[in-house]
Amino acid sequence: MAPHLGHDEFFKSLAELLSKTSQETHGSVNLTQKPLIDVPGATTTNSQPSILIRATDGNTNTPNLKNASKETQISMKKSQKIKLSTIVNPDEIEAFYVRYAEVCKAGMSGLKKRDRRGRKAKTKGGAAKVTKA
Amino acid sequence: MPYLPTSQAYLEQSAQLLQAYPDTTRIVTKYSFPTNRRGNIIRAHKSQVRKDAAKTTDAPSTTPAQPPTAIATLTLKTFNPTTGICLHYRTNKAQEVSRLITSLGKLAAGADVAGLGLSAAVPAGGADVEMVDAPAPVEVTPAAGKAQGQSAKGKKKGGKGKR
Repeated sequence: MAPHLGHDEFFKSLAELLSKTSQETHGSVNLTQKPLIDVPGATTTNSQPSILIRATDGNTNTPNLKNASKETQISMKKSQKIKLSTIVNPDEIEAFYVRYAEVCKAGMSGLKKRDRRGRKAKTKGGAAKVTKA
Repeated sequence: MPYLPTSQAYLEQSAQLLQAYPDTTRIVTKYSFPTNRRGNIIRAHKSQVRKDAAKTTDAPSTTPAQPPTAIATLTLKTFNPTTGICLHYRTNKAQEVSRLITSLGKLAAGADVAGLGLSAAVPAGGADVEMVDAPAPVEVTPAAGKAQGQSAKGKKKGGKGKR
C-alpha cells in the first residue's frame, strides 16, 4: 500500500481527483475517516486517537475485464485505482477539516447549485411590469 | 439500514454511535454520479415517467424535460461493523457540503451531540436515546413560565372560582 501522504499533498491529489470526476460526470469518490488505534506512528493525546483519512476513486475507469486475461486484469486494477490516505493528529483535526471542507466544496461541482432562478425570474417580471406601467 | 431524512438527525445519531463505539465506527463519504448501468438507467427513466405523470395531473407540462446533465449525489454513511449499525444520509445540494464536512470534523474530534452546535429544535424522532434530552425542555419551562405567571394565575383562579 502506498505510504500516507502529508496534508498538502493529500489535498492537492484529492482536489485533482474530485475535479476529474466532476468533469467526467461519471464515477465516484469514496472518502473514509476512522480512528487509528494501536498503530505505530499515530500519536494519541489524552485518549483522543489520530484520524485516518482515505480517499479512493470507485475504480470505474477500468475497461471491461471479461475480455482481458487474468494477469492484465490484476495489473490494470493495481494501476488504475487511485488510493490516497493521510493521518490527522488530534491537535490538527480542526485545521485539517477547514481545508477539507473547502477542497470538497470546490471539487464537488456536480451537485445541485442553490436554485436562484425562481427568484430572479420573479424580480425580472416585477421590473418589467414597473417599466410597462 | 435507514436513510435519515435530515442532516441534523444523521449527525446527531452518528454522534451517539461514535460515542458508544469510538474505536470501531467509521464514516464514509461518497461523492458519485449516477452510473450508466442498464438497470440504473431504466430505474431512473421509470421514476422520471412517474414524476411526469404526477406533474401532468397537477400542472400540465410546465417543464417538458429535465436537463440531461447528470447530478451527482453525496452519500454519508456512519458504519459500525461490530454492531452492524449503519446510518445513511443522502443529498445532492452543493450548499450542504461544507457544513456537513465541518460537522464530520467535529465528529472526528469526538464531539458529542451538544458539541455539534446544532439547534435543539428536533421533531420527536421516537428514538429511545433521545429521551435522555427530554428532561431539558421541562426544566426550561418553569423559567419561561415566570413571564406568563400572572396570566396563568388568573386562569387558575378563574378555574377555582367556577368550582
